[in-house]
Amino acid sequence: MKNTLKVERAKLDITQQQLADIVGVSRQTINSIEADRYVPSTVLAIKISDVFKTTVNAIFNLEEED
Amino acid sequence: MKSIFVKMESKIRKQNLNLLPGYFKKIGLALILLAIGFGIVVKLMHFELFPMQKELYRTLMLSGINLGLLLITLSKDKLEDEMTIAIRLKAMAWSFTWAVFYVIISPFMNILFKDPMRDLAGQQVIMSMLFVYMIMYYLQKKSR
Repeated sequence: MKNTLKVERAKLDITQQQLADIVGVSRQTINSIEADRYVPSTVLAIKISDVFKTTVNAIFNLEEED
Repeated sequence: MKSIFVKMESKIRKQNLNLLPGYFKKIGLALILLAIGFGIVVKLMHFELFPMQKELYRTLMLSGINLGLLLITLSKDKLEDEMTIAIRLKAMAWSFTWAVFYVIISPFMNILFKDPMRDLAGQQVIMSMLFVYMIMYYLQKKSR
C-alpha cells in the first residue's frame, strides 16, 4: 500500500512528531507508515485522514499486489 | 479540534495490550541478577544436605531467570501504540517457531555432543523462547 502522507504533512507544514502527538502514536510509527514499512489500522488511517481533512483513499492507495 | 484528538489519543491508548507497568522491567532484571547470584553462591559453597539438592538449586535458579525474563517481556515500553503491538506479535511468532525447531533439533545435538538419554528441560525451552522474543522485539523496534 502506497501513501501520500509525507506530501500531506508538507502541505499542512507539520512534523512527524506533531502528527504523531495528534493521533496518539509514536513518531517512529508515522515514519514507518511514510516509508511504507507499516500499514496502519483502519482506525489510525481514519484519524490521519481527519487531521488532513480528507478521505482515507486520498492518502492511502492500494497497489496491484495488495 | 485539539480536544477531539485528545479523546482519540486516550482511545488509541486503550487498544494497548494489558501489559505490566514499566517499572516491572527493573524488577525482572533484579530477579535475574538475584537468580544468577544465587547460582554462583551455591556453586562456590559445595554443600549438600540432602540428595537431589543440586537439581533443586538449578531449578530455583532457572525459574528465577525465567520469571525475570517474563516480567521484562510483559512490561510496557515508554510509548506503546498499535505498531509496537504488531511488533510484539511478530516477535512472539518468531519465538514460537524457534521453540518448535529447538525441540526438534536439540535431541539430535545431544546425541552428537552430549548424553543421548538426557531429557530436554522445559525451562531451557522457555528461556530460549523468551530470549528470542526479546531479541526479535528489540531488533524490529530498532529497524522501524
